[in-house]
Amino acid sequence: MNSSSKSSRCSASSAAPPAAAEGLAESLYWLIRLRWFAVAGIFFTALLARQWLGLRLPYGAVLAVAAALGGCNFLLLAYLDRARAAAGPGLARVTNRLANAQIPLDLLCLTALVHLTGGVENPFSYYFVFHMIIASVLLSRRASYLQAAFALLLYLLLAGLEYTGAWPHYCAASSPGLCLRGDLLHLLGSCAAFGTTLFIAVYMASSISHKLRQKEAHLRAANEQLREKDKIKSNYVLRVTHDIKEHLAAIQACLDPVLHGVTGPVPPAQESLIKRSYERTGKLMVFVKALLEITRIKLSRKMEAADFSLRRTAESAVNHVLESAAAKNIKLTWAVNAGVDEVRGSQIYIEETIAGFLANAVKYTPEGGSVDLTIGDAGASVLIRVKDTGMGIPADELPRIFEEFFRARNAKAAERTGTGLGLSIAREVALRHKGRVWVESEEGKGSVFYFALPRAAA
Amino acid sequence: MAKILIIDDDPDITESMRIILESCRHSVKLAKNGEEGLKEAAAAKYDLVILDVMMETMSKGFEVARALKGVPANAKTPILLLTAIKESTGLDFETEAGDKDWLPVDSYLEKPLKPNELLVKVESLLRK
Repeated sequence: MNSSSKSSRCSASSAAPPAAAEGLAESLYWLIRLRWFAVAGIFFTALLARQWLGLRLPYGAVLAVAAALGGCNFLLLAYLDRARAAAGPGLARVTNRLANAQIPLDLLCLTALVHLTGGVENPFSYYFVFHMIIASVLLSRRASYLQAAFALLLYLLLAGLEYTGAWPHYCAASSPGLCLRGDLLHLLGSCAAFGTTLFIAVYMASSISHKLRQKEAHLRAANEQLREKDKIKSNYVLRVTHDIKEHLAAIQACLDPVLHGVTGPVPPAQESLIKRSYERTGKLMVFVKALLEITRIKLSRKMEAADFSLRRTAESAVNHVLESAAAKNIKLTWAVNAGVDEVRGSQIYIEETIAGFLANAVKYTPEGGSVDLTIGDAGASVLIRVKDTGMGIPADELPRIFEEFFRARNAKAAERTGTGLGLSIAREVALRHKGRVWVESEEGKGSVFYFALPRAAA
Repeated sequence: MAKILIIDDDPDITESMRIILESCRHSVKLAKNGEEGLKEAAAAKYDLVILDVMMETMSKGFEVARALKGVPANAKTPILLLTAIKESTGLDFETEAGDKDWLPVDSYLEKPLKPNELLVKVESLLRK
């Protein structure tokens, strides 16, 4: 996410909603990171000015300002970390307060540095403009103009105090005769140029920022509408699919007794046709069930979660494919590493995801191959891995493999039937558990499917 | 031979079950909705009730099960629930866990039905 899009959610004058507060917190972290570079830059420039340029400046004071800026940055970071860890509605208040307080702090430090390194003739005075741009991005338009006014006030104070001799003037020019501090006309010109530059910078940056915020608001509204329409579509799919399933179940229920001889012997020719019809309705039923399942998952905000044993779940998933693996003489191995057992989540869906990975591995691995399931520790998550020596996935199709209804061309060639929904269901299950699924594969050599499941995500 | 009442609003599925059960010489009575089923159960004594979950509403079968078991004469009549999604019952039939007052059924079968599974289940419930 770029800084402008983050900023468009931020308002200095009102408490931001949780998502916006989170966005503003991200921007503040970015600013804190920039400030570390600024502190390092001050140290480096001071060293350069002293060692190579031979300028006579109060380096002790310059370094003290840099150290103070670093110290403040450290405190800001700690404060922000604490507020973020506590989360809740307080985060919005803290981020707004920090956004409004950080820029004046920077401006004070910058004024001190400008004063110590040449006063108004210091070319680094234009660094004030950066802060105006940052203010325009992070804060409301009104707050940005207030920051510009504050910066100009500091600059005018600096110029006035140095001009009247109330503050000493540190000349950064190579020859003291080049110092312009005593030239009133130049001083007034500098102040006028400085002030107009600040306000023009705020005007331009906040105008652009305002337009971006408006665009983002439109995009957010459009996104919300799309989500709503997608929900309506999913509900429609759910109803239609459910109706289709009912009819299919009735067809199967009628064919079943005939096929199993309950209604009397069936002549071979009729039996063959009935069998074909029965098998096709069975395949259609598998597809319809998968479609129903993915639609139900999409419509549900979260899954029912409970603590369960991942070891027993893995064992049960393996049992689903024992027969099919044995039929193809596939070496099926599985292991759950020590310390990985109890997790929290939807046991049924997680078992189905593991069983789905295993079923795919067995389905697309030639006779005599191997399929291996390992479940290991990955810090805050457990990593479920299913590795096979199957046909693999073509590299150009890998990015699409978790898309709904997508099937790799070699999979379609090998197995005509398949819903193309199994991996999409796995992805949805992972998302609902705040986890993720991914795959590594080489065509002709095999695939490794991963499911990173946070231990207590749900 | 047992007297079995089937309460399901899908005429094709009930017809299929009737043929399967009658092939094993059971006597089958069909009811095409919950109200009709309750009337039948009140009018005659049945050895087993086969009940579909989803009829007029998503959970009509649950209401009918409670109403059936609420009548003392039917309290001991086993109920076999037909469901497309067994999780929707909230019961774990393997471990006997769940709220049996909320859903007082004795066993379940997932749709689509298989003749052999239906017969095995019916026989086991009749033996209880």
